[in-house]
Amino acid sequence: MTASSETRLVLLGWNFRVADVAIRDRVAFSADEVREALREIVGRGLVAEGVIVSTCHRSEIYGVVEAQRSEKELAGFVAQWRGLEAASLSSAGFLREGADAARHLFRVASGLDSMALGESEVLGQVRQALRLAREIGSTHAVLHRLFESAVAAGKRVRTETEIGVHPLSVTSIGLELAGKVFGDVSEKTVLVLGAGETGGLFAHQAADAGWRDLRIANRTLERAETVARQVEGTAIAWEDVPRELPRADMVVGTTASETPVVRAEEVEAAMRERRGRPLVFLDLAIPPDIDPAVAKIYNVFAYALNDLADVAEENRRRRAHQIPRAEEILEQELQKFLLWYGNLSVVPTVTGWRKNLEQEVERELSRQPANDRERLRSFGAALMARVLHEPLRRLKAEADTAKKLERVEAIRHLFGLDQEK
Amino acid sequence: MAHSLGWMALFLYLAAEILSIAALRRPRRGLGLAVMLALGAGLALQFADLQVRARALGSVPYRTLEGSLSLFGWMLGIAFLALQIRHRERAIGPFLIPIVMIASLAGMLVPAHATAATPETRGVLFALHVTFAILAYAAFTFSFVLSILYLIQNRQLKRRRIGVLFSRLPALEVIGRMNRTAVSIGLAVLVVALMLGIVRASELWATLADPKILWALITLAVYVFLLWVDRRGWEGRRVALLSILGFGVVLFSYTVVNLYFSTAHHFR
Repeated sequence: MTASSETRLVLLGWNFRVADVAIRDRVAFSADEVREALREIVGRGLVAEGVIVSTCHRSEIYGVVEAQRSEKELAGFVAQWRGLEAASLSSAGFLREGADAARHLFRVASGLDSMALGESEVLGQVRQALRLAREIGSTHAVLHRLFESAVAAGKRVRTETEIGVHPLSVTSIGLELAGKVFGDVSEKTVLVLGAGETGGLFAHQAADAGWRDLRIANRTLERAETVARQVEGTAIAWEDVPRELPRADMVVGTTASETPVVRAEEVEAAMRERRGRPLVFLDLAIPPDIDPAVAKIYNVFAYALNDLADVAEENRRRRAHQIPRAEEILEQELQKFLLWYGNLSVVPTVTGWRKNLEQEVERELSRQPANDRERLRSFGAALMARVLHEPLRRLKAEADTAKKLERVEAIRHLFGLDQEK
Repeated sequence: MAHSLGWMALFLYLAAEILSIAALRRPRRGLGLAVMLALGAGLALQFADLQVRARALGSVPYRTLEGSLSLFGWMLGIAFLALQIRHRERAIGPFLIPIVMIASLAGMLVPAHATAATPETRGVLFALHVTFAILAYAAFTFSFVLSILYLIQNRQLKRRRIGVLFSRLPALEVIGRMNRTAVSIGLAVLVVALMLGIVRASELWATLADPKILWALITLAVYVFLLWVDRRGWEGRRVALLSILGFGVVLFSYTVVNLYFSTAHHFR
């Protein structure tokens, strides 16, 4: 890549692919630590610009490093700051430079590098990383543009592929299936059997998915009441479950019961009372809470844990199918960034600027009488050299790399140097 | 070439169909709009074609079989376009547009036989009678397509087969609701058509004993029964099967009865 000759784009990272949890925990940054670390690395001149992306699965430091400096210093700083041995920290991490570093961030932002392929949270985390760095003032032209481009690329991947469409968790899949039966679930009733960890989590997710009428049944009523309070639902006494069945549109099994809690005869009776309106069962319990025979009843849709797990596997495959298309989009966006970045150094900018002005002079000359042109041409050239002299001198003399790049960017922008391409 | 406008319309429908399949496979923002534009342009051309037919016949264009088929395709297309604009339900297009195409194509391929208009085929009452009858058929066709989609989605949900179609098709309850609307409109319009027909016929004919009227009443009965079943509870699958049965009756009554049984309703 034709990176600017004055600086290099580097990435120093530790993620779930290369570093084990022990190391990842040691290099994880809280928001405050991100601020502090950014201040340090910029203050010490280790980087001209810096952004830190830190999530549960990754800590990545993106930096614009001046040509004469080495990223080893950056790694050394992290080791020292975290009280780790530099050698072991470096061997647990990875280093990318230039286009590879940019490509990595684009992949991260689009969820391609995530543990759960295509997840969308990371896009927000990348955005948050940029926000923190801007607060500190540790981003300028390059990283700002890089992160904005990565976020834009991530959004495009999200809207133009289905990488994030098919849910991967059994709970989301269960809720999606119920949504495909009912459409609008806000008027529907869900009965959650069991107020343990699974039951509580499910109740929360169902509330998030738009279910308004949540009923929680548990053998000990107090626990049901606790969960019900959290999700603004209703606690149901265990003895009342059979009476609640006909009223529920979805029943979710999450108890630790050794025998099924809901029997097929009960469901048949409930369906008669419901006059055939559909009823969805999600059985998240092992061993099952719901008699598998209910699936044969008219308008009953029953899904056991392994059915949902099969769908999850299938959805993972479907997401994976989207990778080539997603990478195509990333590559397009990356090329745009690289073109901009490649031009973002003093020499091509100065050349481009001159050429641009020369063209303007020529255009103006063509409107002048032919016998005047030679004289006017030398006049134009002299004037141009005069006008350009001072700004170019100042540009070249700027010692602060980040500022220099910012000014280069401003010139490119004001004179439309990137649009010609 | 005869029906050059109609052929152009058909070509646009084909484009709309291809685009709607593409939109189903991979949803993109522009595709839905492209489907609507292609379909809308096709419908405008077909409308112009119907005008040309009317001028040639010197009467409403649908006293002939080919004319009524063409009008049927057109109305179905209009109904679908309205639904698209209102609900943006992408999944129906690929199933419905082919029926629009078949009807419109048949309307051009069935050999034209322009004969002089008979007393029955003149006047506003006749025009309204046929228009409403065809509109009812279009509504029932819509219901038929929705029912097929319902059965597909129901089957996928029951068998836990989660294909591409699964994520694109609307929820069962949504399809059921649209189906109810389609049948209700169809029934109301069919009743109006029947009444207009009876008023007109009683002016002209000695007897109302016509097989076509009998079959219209059977059609009516099937769909009334369907709505009754639907009201009793939420009986999705049975309603879908009844709608398919009803569509069979409509098809039979429209083709076989018209061509072979009924003398009064024979297309001339």
